[in-house]
Amino acid sequence: MRDHARSGALTEVTFFILLSVYEPRHGYAIMQFVEQETHGRLILGAGSLYGALSSLAKKGYIEPQGEDGERRKQYRITQAGRQVVKRELARLKEITQTAETIVGAVRPAAGSRLIGETARSGEMSAGVGPQGWEAEGIG
Amino acid sequence: MKKCYRYFGSLLNRQERWLNKMAAAGWHLKEAGKLCYTFESCAPGEYEYRVEFAAHMAYKKSKDYRAFLEELGYEVFCKNINLNWSVGKAVWRPWGEGAGQISTSPGSFNKELLLVGRRADARPFELHTAPEDKAEYMGMLARAFLYRAAALIALGILLGMYGRSDWLPEATLAVGRMIGGGLLIALGIWMLWRAYGCGREARLYREEAGTGQ
Repeated sequence: MRDHARSGALTEVTFFILLSVYEPRHGYAIMQFVEQETHGRLILGAGSLYGALSSLAKKGYIEPQGEDGERRKQYRITQAGRQVVKRELARLKEITQTAETIVGAVRPAAGSRLIGETARSGEMSAGVGPQGWEAEGIG
Repeated sequence: MKKCYRYFGSLLNRQERWLNKMAAAGWHLKEAGKLCYTFESCAPGEYEYRVEFAAHMAYKKSKDYRAFLEELGYEVFCKNINLNWSVGKAVWRPWGEGAGQISTSPGSFNKELLLVGRRADARPFELHTAPEDKAEYMGMLARAFLYRAAALIALGILLGMYGRSDWLPEATLAVGRMIGGGLLIALGIWMLWRAYGCGREARLYREEAGTGQ
């Protein structure tokens, strides 16, 4: 949490919510957007979404944008919100770039080492190896 | 139609389990009174429920939250956490946020909980999913329990030490003070323990949020 505050990074949920309201969307549509764009990896609960929307509206990153045909409240990103998204995008690009230079350069060696480790831990206890590898892959 | 009389107080999870058990048996909630739950028959497992603590919210905000949930297609019922029939009452909730610190009747008093139901689908039904939001929710619950614990223990000590009666014999009064005060203090310690549990959970979620999973 403190790290986030210092670096100004957005949480994944916040970032996706901001992206979803580049065009006006109501609560349910935002939930669907997040679920679809992350292929079901991130599913937003109603309470978390409500909290995130309130705090984003309070910060002035999004604003209510009338109601749709079924009288559902819609939200839309503001100028300030767009700035925040752009900053986050730049930050992510920087990270990706750094990561690609490093990982791209040493990929074969790192890859073979990882596979070797997986095989070894797989011998000791099946199932632990692949999981450990996956976690490393994501992190 | 079926009416059941139950009182769960602050046992949020137990109330949630019971509602889900009723739903699994083919009964879904139609009305929630102070003690009386009215159910209507449905297909077994057609509905599922979550119990949400919402007493920290200002009345306006909790109404807005309810409207938001209903917009998502959920059925929402307000539920009391205490048994209190008074009208024209105001209480202070030091752990509330902003205007949510003052609760009045009529108003947000006796609407501390939200019973949230929806038609079951394949996706998990959780109201709080983001770790930072879970941390906030559990932290707020911990504070609410902590204040309740402090109030109970203080009341227990007061009753135990200063309980007076005009008509009870001295010996009976002494026993009554001990039992009454002891019960209140025991209840307070139990609340303290729950507050500790919620606080610990909140800390875990905060750590999870901090490290970005």
